[in-house]
Amino acid sequence: MPAPHVVIVGAGSTGAACAHDLALRGLRVTVVERGEFSNATTGRNHCLLHSGGRYAVTDQESAIECIDENLLLRKIMPDALELNDGLFVALTEEDLGFKARFIAGCEACHIPYRELTPAQALAREPLLNPKLLAAVQVPDGVFEPWRFSMAFLATARSNGAVCRSYTEVVELVRQNGSVTGVKVLDRVTGKTDTIGCDLVVNAAGPWAGEVAGFGGIEVPVQPTAGIMVTVGRRMNNMVVNRLDKPSDGDIVVPQRTTSIIGTTSWTVTDPDAIDIPPEHIQKMLHKGIELIPEIATVTTRGVGAAARPLIKRANEDERDVSRTFECFDHKRDGVEGFVSISGGKTTTARGMAEKLGDLVTRKLGLSVACQTRTTQLLSYRLFYA
Amino acid sequence: MPKLHVRVLRQRPDTQARYDHFDVEVPDDANVIDVIEACWRQDQNLMYRHACHHASCGTCAVRVDGKEVLPCIVPLTACKSTDLVIEPLRNFPVVGDLVVDVSAFFQRQAAAGMVITRDAEETIDGHPFQPSELLQSDGKLERRHYNRFENCVECGICLSACPTLSATDGFFGPAGLAAVHRAWEKSTNATERAALLDLADRDGGVWQCHGAYECSEACPQEFDPAEAIMDLRRALIQRKVAALFGGGR
Amino acid sequence: MSLHSTNRARPRKPWQWIDIRGRRTGMWAFALNRLTGIGLVVYLYLHFVMLSQLFMGRAAWDGFVELAHSPLVLAFDVVLFAGLIIHGLNGFRVALNGFGIGVRQQKTFFYGLMAVGALLLAISTYLIFTL
Repeated sequence: MPAPHVVIVGAGSTGAACAHDLALRGLRVTVVERGEFSNATTGRNHCLLHSGGRYAVTDQESAIECIDENLLLRKIMPDALELNDGLFVALTEEDLGFKARFIAGCEACHIPYRELTPAQALAREPLLNPKLLAAVQVPDGVFEPWRFSMAFLATARSNGAVCRSYTEVVELVRQNGSVTGVKVLDRVTGKTDTIGCDLVVNAAGPWAGEVAGFGGIEVPVQPTAGIMVTVGRRMNNMVVNRLDKPSDGDIVVPQRTTSIIGTTSWTVTDPDAIDIPPEHIQKMLHKGIELIPEIATVTTRGVGAAARPLIKRANEDERDVSRTFECFDHKRDGVEGFVSISGGKTTTARGMAEKLGDLVTRKLGLSVACQTRTTQLLSYRLFYA
Repeated sequence: MPKLHVRVLRQRPDTQARYDHFDVEVPDDANVIDVIEACWRQDQNLMYRHACHHASCGTCAVRVDGKEVLPCIVPLTACKSTDLVIEPLRNFPVVGDLVVDVSAFFQRQAAAGMVITRDAEETIDGHPFQPSELLQSDGKLERRHYNRFENCVECGICLSACPTLSATDGFFGPAGLAAVHRAWEKSTNATERAALLDLADRDGGVWQCHGAYECSEACPQEFDPAEAIMDLRRALIQRKVAALFGGGR
Repeated sequence: MSLHSTNRARPRKPWQWIDIRGRRTGMWAFALNRLTGIGLVVYLYLHFVMLSQLFMGRAAWDGFVELAHSPLVLAFDVVLFAGLIIHGLNGFRVALNGFGIGVRQQKTFFYGLMAVGALLLAISTYLIFTL
């Protein structure tokens, strides 16, 4: 009997990691993505490989997921990461007051940290605001989002997964209350065809609600946009965070030849129509200059915004919505053969895929363990091998 | 909100190429990628590549008014007029519209073997960076240099600009040869270095470059592939001359 | 992994060799080199045809030499010489670049050589029409 066939909708970091996880468990996998691989939420993110420090006080569940995956990815994706740690910088007395809570949070979430004096911090990052009062070093890192996903897809493909870009799901095929396939539109040929399968994984990120809607199912995803402003020169080697609760413009992530200031957070209805409010760009620059004054002297290189697929829970402000993830088995909605995965972060993609893989194999009546913790990922370039 | 008239070269593998016209409105400070996205909002059949919107992924490269650019970092204010012509890269097989097939390109990049992270510069604007003490996974500290991703984003712009590639498919291409050069420069292993020079020496390697320097002109990341090619030539000539006088390889 | 991929772009058209739209100096150098290269190859065969007149006897050869002194052919000689100078000097530039010489100054190098070439051409044109 051939192995069960799973179709994954969406090839952002979540879909890509799920493809890798399931292919490694011996399933037949087809990933469909409506555009270029990871062109949306994953592509346009912070590029921050979280140490968990950012959530150590406000969202410890996420923080622990982050540090666990951070340490793991260092081993399985060694060449595709900039690993220069991060600094949490206190600029005001108020920030300084947050330090004790921050350190307690790091300890509670087993995030390695080290306190630095302003002089030590400036020796490492000379362009930091010289008025800083204190800094804490944590193992933050940087990844390149497109290559991050492509590394997962390359490995999945080498294990037999079929990865189709420019292939958009237009319908869920249902039979007797079960999802038995997807109808897709191939943008190259302009033709629609049906891909039959044993199970469909909805990893469409902020579009997860739309995809589930094809089956008349609701997924409580709240598309929440955030903007990234990239400046014309690399200002720092370590990720520079404001030592405070997560807020707008509190982080400058170095990457390649640039530094990226992030981010804001606002709820959008249509993740395809995000209009960037100009005042957000100004705000990012203003807040970025507080951390690294030199930003005032360089040009803006690029501005991007994409929607995060946060999970909606009652009575929560979008900043307080947990950044953790959830798998939804739509059996609870009376539909078999269909699961959704949403929320989470690119940093935790592998961990999310492991949870999803456990659910999928359980549903398919298989017992194969996850092997992604110890499997080295291939180079993203080998996706095209 | 400037109003733009955009002509986009549309095609599929089995159809004749044609220009489609789009009238779009975008914010004053928009970049060309936002214009392409605005066109896509009007016609979701429009195929284009993009991901990071800050010139790191290298996927979005196209030709705007005949010149290769990363549209994510080209502001509209840098364009000559409100009429834009957007076409896919040259010298690549076209998958559809602005999307080109980068398979062969990445196969060559893989063969070249450049590692994408390298030591970060010692200085930014004259401020020295100390080799840092960075945290290890067990929380211990280790002294090591800061690293960062290579300048080259593997966007394919240099291949599109290369006149040699407009005449032949056999050429390894500027990005690939620059990657070979980078790997050769970084390697301390004599056998590996010799193998990399061999790769550059082969048919389709550095000798096929015609010295037009269009690759370095077009490069959005100031990677200078042409200089890398010339440096490989210099190293090969040196090796050949040494071999001629019995100096071994 | 081979240098040659099976993945080919659409068939190329020779006009792409001289398509200088959106390009800079280097493309001019490349296009000129292609055109002069083709010209010189064509001339080489033409030259063989001319030399073969020697086999046709003294009268044929004298007639050819007569023709060779006509202003039209002399003008052709100038064009030929221009091609030779451009192709030769540009080749010289690329070869020196390969030795690591003048890589960073390649544009100035190109313009400089072309200026030298123009001077040589002016002198040779004078000589061709006066000797």
